[in-house]
Amino acid sequence: MRLFEFEAKELFRELGIPTPVGQTIKCAEEVFSIPAKSFPKTLKTQVLSGGRGKAGGIKFADNQEDAYHKAQAIFKLPIKGELPKTILVEPKVTIKKEIYLAILIDRAYRGPILMASAEGGIEIETSENIQIVPVPGANYSNFYARELAAKVGLHGIQLIKFAAIVDKLWQVWTKFDCDLAEINPLIIDGDDNFIALDGKVTLNEDSTGRHPRFAGQLVNHLSDLGDREFRGKMCGLNIVELEGNIGILCNGAGLTMATMDLVLHKGGKPSNFLDVGGGANKDHVKRALDLVSSSDDVKVLLVNILGGITACDEVAAALAYYKEIRPDAKMVVRLVGNNEDKAKAIMDKAGIPMTNILEKAVEEAVSLAAKA
Amino acid sequence: MAVLINKNTNVIVQGITGTMGGTHARLMKAYGTNIVAGVTPGKGGQDFEGIPVFDTVYETTKHFRVDCSVIFVPPYYALDAALEAIEAGIPLISVITEGLPPQDAVKLHAAAKANGTLVNGPNCPGIITPGECLIGIHPGSIYKPGKIGLISRSGTLTYEIGLGLKQADIGISTAIGIGGDPIIGIDQIKSLELFQNDPETEMIILVGEIGGSAEEEAAEYIKSHVRKPVIGYVAGVTAPPGKRMGHAGAIIAGNKGTAKSKREAFEAANVKVADTPYEIIDLVKQELAILA
Repeated sequence: MRLFEFEAKELFRELGIPTPVGQTIKCAEEVFSIPAKSFPKTLKTQVLSGGRGKAGGIKFADNQEDAYHKAQAIFKLPIKGELPKTILVEPKVTIKKEIYLAILIDRAYRGPILMASAEGGIEIETSENIQIVPVPGANYSNFYARELAAKVGLHGIQLIKFAAIVDKLWQVWTKFDCDLAEINPLIIDGDDNFIALDGKVTLNEDSTGRHPRFAGQLVNHLSDLGDREFRGKMCGLNIVELEGNIGILCNGAGLTMATMDLVLHKGGKPSNFLDVGGGANKDHVKRALDLVSSSDDVKVLLVNILGGITACDEVAAALAYYKEIRPDAKMVVRLVGNNEDKAKAIMDKAGIPMTNILEKAVEEAVSLAAKA
Repeated sequence: MAVLINKNTNVIVQGITGTMGGTHARLMKAYGTNIVAGVTPGKGGQDFEGIPVFDTVYETTKHFRVDCSVIFVPPYYALDAALEAIEAGIPLISVITEGLPPQDAVKLHAAAKANGTLVNGPNCPGIITPGECLIGIHPGSIYKPGKIGLISRSGTLTYEIGLGLKQADIGISTAIGIGGDPIIGIDQIKSLELFQNDPETEMIILVGEIGGSAEEEAAEYIKSHVRKPVIGYVAGVTAPPGKRMGHAGAIIAGNKGTAKSKREAFEAANVKVADTPYEIIDLVKQELAILA
């Protein structure tokens, strides 16, 4: 769960990382409650998508009137389709130096790494100037931070102060079960103070259940998702939207990806990735069917279930129900494995053809979609 | 012979009285696995369909030689359960649990490394040596005993391939479902090493997917260490960047982790790469013909 910048900075301040002293506004008129003497200010759109600076979501304002017009514009400016509900208003700061700092889990090290670059404010994925210090077994100590500081060329008091910030970011990362805790840029101001000018925190979604303060928060942090992806998330279905016309419903992530790939291999275009997971019952599959077919782009539904823990007859029952309410829907069904015989009986009764050969099902779905 | 588990492996089930643990303890036992005991704290002294239940893992080791523990406890308790098994000296642990917090996974694998414990998973279907021993949730009937080693990050895709092989009358020595999480114990390289050293395994199928660089690292390992034929497959050619495709580990970040890069790495290591799951079966047949 990706947090908004203002929320990330709240967590930073809680654990002692300095940030600019800002406030959030929910409408442009609110800028008039900000003391006129405190200007100039920075207005920052609060969205989850990246690239907001380039897209015009960050503006400077010299006075209230200026801020009012700029805030109006920012509230109306979608960033990658996402409109802000909040603007963060902060004082402008003097920047002597910008640094990139992040803590995340790296698969290759099987543990967390500290990552920094002497160039802050950069696109970290494309930067070549990144220094990494792994923290084996997550047994953190301050020397890892000092090592990192030295690697990015900090000396003297700056090295010590930087390491102290890393200590605190480490606390954020562990305390809240983060996937990522990032400060970009971490700046050194005119008085040699380190300040988190921006903050990006992604909480691990499998872990939020053990942090009561984030209970019920997920729904407010999905503004970067498409409609079907959002609805799927709300009922525990993992769906990813694509641009084709063959709706895919499958069980297991690997098999779902392989099915998508097969559709493409046979000349078709998958409209989505939907993994109903293991052990799905009839009602869960019904919701999944609704979700897949709720897009007008979907011309054919391809169902591929390999029953291990999942019982094929549960899936068949959901398909029979779906056929009743949507008799015209084009469906190609492959069911194999656990309770396949019971499923066959249900499908025969409902008049839905089924196969147990994957290649055949995919070929048929592709050919039906081509005719639609 | 096979790798990791065989007909002599003594297995305990942690979380045996839970829904998942109970269901699969029953299925494993029916398959022929020696389930010697179960563990559920607070339920020691009971029995689960003839399997004695203990409060602690340590107690089971006083009564039996325990070779392996299969863990079915809920995500927030799985680290504790795994640490208990490691501390009790059990050499192989399979964590079936899905949704283990990554920071717990880091601690689990650090403890396993310090103690020399092999950990399979988390978030995996387990391991099967067909006809001898099943640990985890693989549908046993889908596999036929034979001489192909199968390594896969996915559950149902592994079953798909096992089933395809069986329909072609080809069997496997052992199937290792290594798990779909970013941080796993027994990985592709460890599995390759095990199969390379197993005299009964003639060929290896390596089923990868997008995300991370495990396939690229496995390809390097194959170049220098593996002398047996390897057939590769990578799921997720059509996956868009930045989207998590079900598995926490299946995500293309920046330009890293793409199916293309993995396929190229496999090809450079002389791994025959299949375009589709059923093409794997064709490639296996061709290789078997060459070996014969």
